[in-house]
Amino acid sequence: MMGRRKARIGTLAALLVSALLWGGPGTTAHAANPETRRLEGTVSPENWQAYKSRFVEGTGRVIDNANGNISHSEGQGYGLMLAFAAGDRAAFEQIWTFTYTEFLIRDDGLAVWKWDPASTPKVTDRNNATDGDILIAYALAKAGVAWKEQRYTIMAQRIARALGRTGISKTTGRSILLPASQGFGPNDRPDGPVVNLSYWIFEAIPTLAQLAPEYDWNGLWREGLSILQQVNASKMRLPPDWLSIRDRTQYRPADGFPPEFGYNSLRIPLYLLRAGMTDVEWLKTIKQRWLGNEGVAVVNVLTGQIRERLTDQGYRALSATLACALDQSRVPDDLKTFEPNLYYPSTLYLLSMSLIGEKYPQCL
Amino acid sequence: MPLGRGITAIVIAGVAFSAIAQQFGGSSSDQRQAPAPLPSTPTPPSGSISPQSAPAPQNLPPPAQPPQAFPPQAQGQQTGQPPSNQAQAPGQSAPQSQPPSPPQPQVDESALRYFASQGDTRRLDAEIARLRALYPNWSPPTDLNQLSAPIVAGPPPDPDIDRFWSLFSEGRIAEARAAVAERTARDPQFRLPQDLATALDTAEARTRLVNASDNGQWRTVLDTATQTPSLLTCANIDSLWRVAEAFAKTNQAARTRDVYTYILTNCANPAERLATLQKALPLLPEQQIADLLRYERKTGTDQDDFSEIRDQLALRRVDRASSDSKQTASAEDLAAVETLAQESTDSGAALVLGWYYYHHNEPEKARQWFQTAFDRTPEQKAAEGLALTLRALNRFLEAENLAYEWRDRSPENLSAYKDIFVATLTQDPPLRLDPRVLSSAVPVITRDQFYNGAQALGWYSYNTGQFATARGWFDKALDWKPDDEPSAYGLALSLLRLNNRNAFNGVANEWRTRSQRIADLADGIYDRAASTTDLTPTGPLTSGGPLNPRTAVANPPPAQTQSAPVSSRGGYDPRQGYDPRQPQTDARPVDQRSSIPANGAMTGAPMTGAPMSSAPMSSAPMAGASMNGAPMDSRQAVTTTRQTTDTRLNYDNRQPASARATADYASPVEPAPPVTRQRSYEAVEEIQVERPRAVATVTTARPAPSAGGGGGGGTGGGGGRQSCASGNAYTLPAASALSLGWCLMELNRPMEAVTAFDQAIKRGNASTKQEAAYGKTLAYLRKDLTKEAAIAAAEAPQAPQRRTELQATILSQRALAAYRDGRYTEALLALGERARIVPEQNDLMIIRGYAYYKLGRYNDALKVFQAVQRTGYSEDAAAGLNVVQEAIRPSRQF
Repeated sequence: MMGRRKARIGTLAALLVSALLWGGPGTTAHAANPETRRLEGTVSPENWQAYKSRFVEGTGRVIDNANGNISHSEGQGYGLMLAFAAGDRAAFEQIWTFTYTEFLIRDDGLAVWKWDPASTPKVTDRNNATDGDILIAYALAKAGVAWKEQRYTIMAQRIARALGRTGISKTTGRSILLPASQGFGPNDRPDGPVVNLSYWIFEAIPTLAQLAPEYDWNGLWREGLSILQQVNASKMRLPPDWLSIRDRTQYRPADGFPPEFGYNSLRIPLYLLRAGMTDVEWLKTIKQRWLGNEGVAVVNVLTGQIRERLTDQGYRALSATLACALDQSRVPDDLKTFEPNLYYPSTLYLLSMSLIGEKYPQCL
Repeated sequence: MPLGRGITAIVIAGVAFSAIAQQFGGSSSDQRQAPAPLPSTPTPPSGSISPQSAPAPQNLPPPAQPPQAFPPQAQGQQTGQPPSNQAQAPGQSAPQSQPPSPPQPQVDESALRYFASQGDTRRLDAEIARLRALYPNWSPPTDLNQLSAPIVAGPPPDPDIDRFWSLFSEGRIAEARAAVAERTARDPQFRLPQDLATALDTAEARTRLVNASDNGQWRTVLDTATQTPSLLTCANIDSLWRVAEAFAKTNQAARTRDVYTYILTNCANPAERLATLQKALPLLPEQQIADLLRYERKTGTDQDDFSEIRDQLALRRVDRASSDSKQTASAEDLAAVETLAQESTDSGAALVLGWYYYHHNEPEKARQWFQTAFDRTPEQKAAEGLALTLRALNRFLEAENLAYEWRDRSPENLSAYKDIFVATLTQDPPLRLDPRVLSSAVPVITRDQFYNGAQALGWYSYNTGQFATARGWFDKALDWKPDDEPSAYGLALSLLRLNNRNAFNGVANEWRTRSQRIADLADGIYDRAASTTDLTPTGPLTSGGPLNPRTAVANPPPAQTQSAPVSSRGGYDPRQGYDPRQPQTDARPVDQRSSIPANGAMTGAPMTGAPMSSAPMSSAPMAGASMNGAPMDSRQAVTTTRQTTDTRLNYDNRQPASARATADYASPVEPAPPVTRQRSYEAVEEIQVERPRAVATVTTARPAPSAGGGGGGGTGGGGGRQSCASGNAYTLPAASALSLGWCLMELNRPMEAVTAFDQAIKRGNASTKQEAAYGKTLAYLRKDLTKEAAIAAAEAPQAPQRRTELQATILSQRALAAYRDGRYTEALLALGERARIVPEQNDLMIIRGYAYYKLGRYNDALKVFQAVQRTGYSEDAAAGLNVVQEAIRPSRQF
């Protein structure tokens, strides 16, 4: 039995290596080419130490200190990614232990998304969040290959398959990423399906496709871009965090959510750039807003009005990365020193700097 | 046989089973595709659990088999997981009953052995203390001293391993993992000792299993168990229980039973064995529980006592039969449950017995158990059961009181209240009811459009002589359920009593084709005069039990050629079925007994004992108040019936008591809310007929008009329709117009009189003006147009005495109007204002008393009624006193 498992893992590892060479879904109408990130070694030990000491408990729990110190699958996923990027095997194992025992308990093999230390049981929402699942699987896959740790690779594959099974919806004839297994599909709500474009973590998609090739990751990748393009061509220009795509001819903000380009969506440029998709048309739209007078902000997509300007270092790092990638602008000096304060912008900061360090060192 | 095998086989077989089911169900998971084999099942250091090699016995040993020995290697690390201390379930005590040698460590001693082997006495002592705290009956193995010896000769101790164990024993699993990963990164050749690897895996698996189980992720529970056989030992009994539950929740009851059987066969702790059966109770069918009971150990040092489980089974059987009158419980079971109920302090078993006896026709026993349950825990089910049982015992008033109090707790309580309310109101003879019973039902009935309740109020009003109110409620019931024949029948009967032919004809026309008895009623009015003398009061009226008027038509009782009980009783029983061959003779307006003079009937009939007696219509305000079905309703009825031939007056000496009961204890029923759907026979016209009659008496009370008026004595509307002096008010001279006004007043045509008086005011001299304004004021007062009356009174100056008189009348009308509308405080204000200018007469004092009563100012009400009483005997005051006293002290049961 062990032998068979090993053999399978061997094949799997080979697949993952080939993923690095994968042309993937980039060979589409889009000019954007997907890149895979090396990731490992792109976060400095000092920055990671500062992050870890502030947001990672000894149990391996990643704490969202702006949200009542809860944890979520997204945070665990980011924690794993950053620990890998910092080359911290111990921290990776620590975060993984918590993720595995506390989050990966769903019957379908995905992670519950919300965990609150103040509740009993701690899991306060058993639904999953596909971005958290993707981040966890992606980090595990990366670490499994780099550190030759089969446990990680097996789990990455298990999650990727579960994602392919329940996260990709083809009910509309297109492959879209459902934000969760419950509540967002075409039959779950009158304006369903509802998607969150920031859940498309483009850099991870080729990896997932290698782990679970039986699912239509390529189509998923294309559809994410297509939706973004259509939003860009609409009056909205900016995607709301939660977007109803029920009416193919007219996407609109999903019912019950603020019609805002908000904390979720502001990750989209970073994800596009991390996947090397610098020529996506929409980036020009967001560049106009971010690099003009407006800066990074929460914006009402129907009125164009700004609700909140975001000035934390982590949000400014997003626009700095955009300026670097598109205009070769140098990163302002005040962004060069990491000043962690809140979990979310701190995470965005490290992911931004990791990309600049890996791909655009000239901006530093 | 190694302990783990059996349970692992169960779990694996169970998971395989679910995998098969899954595949047939059309979906599968990757775990299913790669079944069971994934567990990194290292070979334990000693003893072994090897699921792969285990023969997979599908059935566990028979009960007789003695407990198995436990494998010396143990997995039950109890501290590794923060939230999962359930493992130390009830009375976590080590098994003392095991053979002394070799020791049977259910407790995870791996860390202990490690520290001993390292000669680390400080940590060893700490670990012993920790395990002792967790397992009070545990004692450390005696062979620990020997462990350190061989190690000394071996390779030098690895300080990292030491640290790993240390973190592990402190439950810091993630940090232990991190430390191991760090070491592995540093030293690729490093291999984690197998016992530590297993210990870490097991601790993680336990946490995951508990989390998955807490969140209902049963497949994860089963997968985890399959992959971690080291978890499935008696030391981890909580995990075993959760696995059993997971099987049950995934419809694999047989597997569930297998796990419990495994525990009962292998695990020694008596408290845990009993707890196992308690866990099994809600999850397994009775027969399987019974099978498990056979594992009860009756010999040896650790004997089981499963009797409470047997009691629970008896309880379950009684419970099952408790809502189904066709199922009966055995005498043994009932006895067991009764003992259980007596000995326990909660109300569960008592409730079960209550329902059982309630549904098995032993209401008195049921009442006792419900009462017991209610006394222990006054909660909604107990209240519902108790109320329903009281009703079954014909203790309606108690039932209603209780049901009312609990009506808002649950839909069942509300439903019970409604049923009981209807039953209470439709008793024959009518019960003496607290006014609260009626008034508090109105909001519920209105809110829920509860037509049965409206109908019940209709019958109650009808049977207590409050016909106008009855009509209103029947109307309301029809409004909510237009095809409700019994309500239509009640409406028709009420309209007959009210002598409202037009409205009656409307009902009859609408229903004639749908209801034979209504048709007969219509025909009978004209065609069949009197033939009721030979009818005897037999039939449904005499039987008890709740009424269900709705069934009257659907299930007609056998034809009773001599029934028509109402005709001899004066009350209508809605239960009475329709029988076309025997029309409902009670409704005949002209009974041959109507030869009894109406007045005699009124004074002599028990009807007069109703709260509002048939005192002569000396007081206009009283009649006015009665219009709206306020407490004076029966007077209204009397007013009406006196002028018609009251079919209700055929009281018979044969039934005086019952008839008297009908009237004596009748509570005034509140009027129905406005009917929303207008029907052709709506109440509007009737009001027009009756109001002037009532107001006419105002003129009775007023001083005779001074001049030219043609007399002021009202005739109560009974006057003929002769014409006044000819002429058009608009062309007549002022004095003639004034005379015409008075004449029209005489004829009780007040609105025409207003026109005439207006002309007189317009053209007359000062004294004519004054007189005409006075007349106009009176005319408006007669129409209850108080506001207009007040304006008219101001149109010309009046002599002080007359001004006072008009003012007093206006105020009394204002008070009455306020009272009718339920604005009791305003009524009191108007009365107070009036009392400042004229002495308050008795009839208005009665109104004042009722207003106090309505406001809950019982003492004030009592004082007022007593004051009236002191002026000489007044039935109104007596009735008022009665009502207030009823409110203060709930009435006795009839």
